[in-house]
Amino acid sequence: MMEFNQLDMRSLLEGYQKKQFTVTEVVQASLKAIDLKNPKLNALLEVNAEKALTRARALDADISKASEKKLFGVPIAIKDNILVKDWQCTAGSKILEGYRAPYTATTVQRLEAEGAVIIGKANCDEFAMGSSNETSHYGSCRNPWDLERVPGGSSGGSAAAVAAGMCPASLGTDTGGSIRQPASLCGLVGLKPSYGRVSRYGVVSYASSLDQVGPFSRTVWDCARLLEVLSGADKKDATTSHLEVPPYAARLQESSLSQVTLGVAPQWLQGVDADVKEAFDRSIEQMKKEGAKIVEIDLPRTRYSLSVYYLIAPSEASSNLARYDGVHYGFRAKEFKDSEQLYNRSRGQGFGKEVKLRIMLGTYALSAGYYDAFYLKANQVRRLIQQDFEAAFQKCDAVLVPTSPSTAFKLGEKTDDPLKMYLSDIFTLPVNLAGLPGVSVPCGLDKKNLPIGLQLIGRPFEELKLLQIAQAHEKIQGVLRLP
Amino acid sequence: MLTRDEVLKIAKLARLELSEDEVAFYQNRLGRVLDYMTELKAVETSKDAFVRHVPLDAEPFREDISESFGGRDALLKNAPALEEEGFLLPAILESE
Repeated sequence: MMEFNQLDMRSLLEGYQKKQFTVTEVVQASLKAIDLKNPKLNALLEVNAEKALTRARALDADISKASEKKLFGVPIAIKDNILVKDWQCTAGSKILEGYRAPYTATTVQRLEAEGAVIIGKANCDEFAMGSSNETSHYGSCRNPWDLERVPGGSSGGSAAAVAAGMCPASLGTDTGGSIRQPASLCGLVGLKPSYGRVSRYGVVSYASSLDQVGPFSRTVWDCARLLEVLSGADKKDATTSHLEVPPYAARLQESSLSQVTLGVAPQWLQGVDADVKEAFDRSIEQMKKEGAKIVEIDLPRTRYSLSVYYLIAPSEASSNLARYDGVHYGFRAKEFKDSEQLYNRSRGQGFGKEVKLRIMLGTYALSAGYYDAFYLKANQVRRLIQQDFEAAFQKCDAVLVPTSPSTAFKLGEKTDDPLKMYLSDIFTLPVNLAGLPGVSVPCGLDKKNLPIGLQLIGRPFEELKLLQIAQAHEKIQGVLRLP
Repeated sequence: MLTRDEVLKIAKLARLELSEDEVAFYQNRLGRVLDYMTELKAVETSKDAFVRHVPLDAEPFREDISESFGGRDALLKNAPALEEEGFLLPAILESE
């Protein structure tokens, strides 16, 4: 039997068109891989075999029309902070235990309209607050490359599911690196779109000025195809752009490396692990050999990204998470004497350690007497970070940097020190702050046989150029195998 | 470093009931993170600088047309406590 779960998305699409296999066979292979691997990985929090197989059979009845749908018969896992009607949506939190989505997010509607099969809901850090998937109330998720290590976060389950061959693609959300960092740690392609490219309707809000939904896949082509389905204006999200969505996948080959200038900021690379630096330098050399022009750029104010992000994101979170009060949905404390105690207890018992830290951090930054010094100041510095990128993009088409300063770390290694954990997103945070698109692509393995990621950062809404460069890089390096 | 009272005040504003252990824990953690953030004080910024994060062509305004949601039962099913079709809450007014 063919190992369907080893195939990337494009191979699946081609196989359906040639009638080499059916959607039912592929979905069965996905479910088998989940049965086999999920008990160890804890990548998926809910799987519904019956729903997936019913959907597969319906698609099989129409398999002659496979070429008309962009994601025909593709099994996809959805991060558990994105709503899919009738499926659970916990956002990794006890406070949403048992919650069933009453409607479907725009992004998932778009996937389904193009023939995708929802295979499961993926584990994640609680309310997407974390870089290792260890803050999930439903237990840590593990990295398929090494079970002692984290898959990254917050979209750790989405990344682990694809890397483990449970499905060829998944959806995550990225507020400060939550798609790109786990993509890097699990050896996948993961893209955070420009702010406003993809609808946030039906996504559990964390920090609304930074959140974006994006895809995980094994190849750049798959990423491009997924992005073109996800992107575009949505009247249910007033922050979405009306800019036309290019057929990203079809146009990947249009540009060659000899037409692009890539920017590298040397001061960024201090403190990066030796293996990561070596792989990064090798990628740069290879692209230079293929004709890319490399220029030095300076992003002096990005060094404040951590402070800026951990003031702005928690401030927005403290407001967004005010809705969880034990009244309309979710967890409610057992004992209380009045309404106030009902709210305070339900929240105190329902939220985890990191979420409470961030809610309080945000509450503090927004409180009278501290607003100017913290929240306002952070927003002013955010503008400077954006200006640094604007200046850099005068000189280059894309900025290159490792996605994360290290490869996958061990469970528990960084949980005692919040700042140490936050630093694993140091190269991804500024991209959200500036609203830019960023994609992480595999660029080799370290000495411990763990994947290393290269991040490409582009101008707003220039995802096409970014993907073209990523495609050229993939052509040189080859597609990374599954672990 | 934050005082214990400051942590309690923030927790009150944030509507979070904390245990004694948690108060000590957050006093330490919040203090450590906020200390780090004081680095921003040194950055020169102009007063009117503010990020516009929404794309220029996004449309914040739309026609004010109501649509029926149709998921009423699904919403009620998620309620932790119901009385008939209402969300059940402790009494706000004391009975005479």
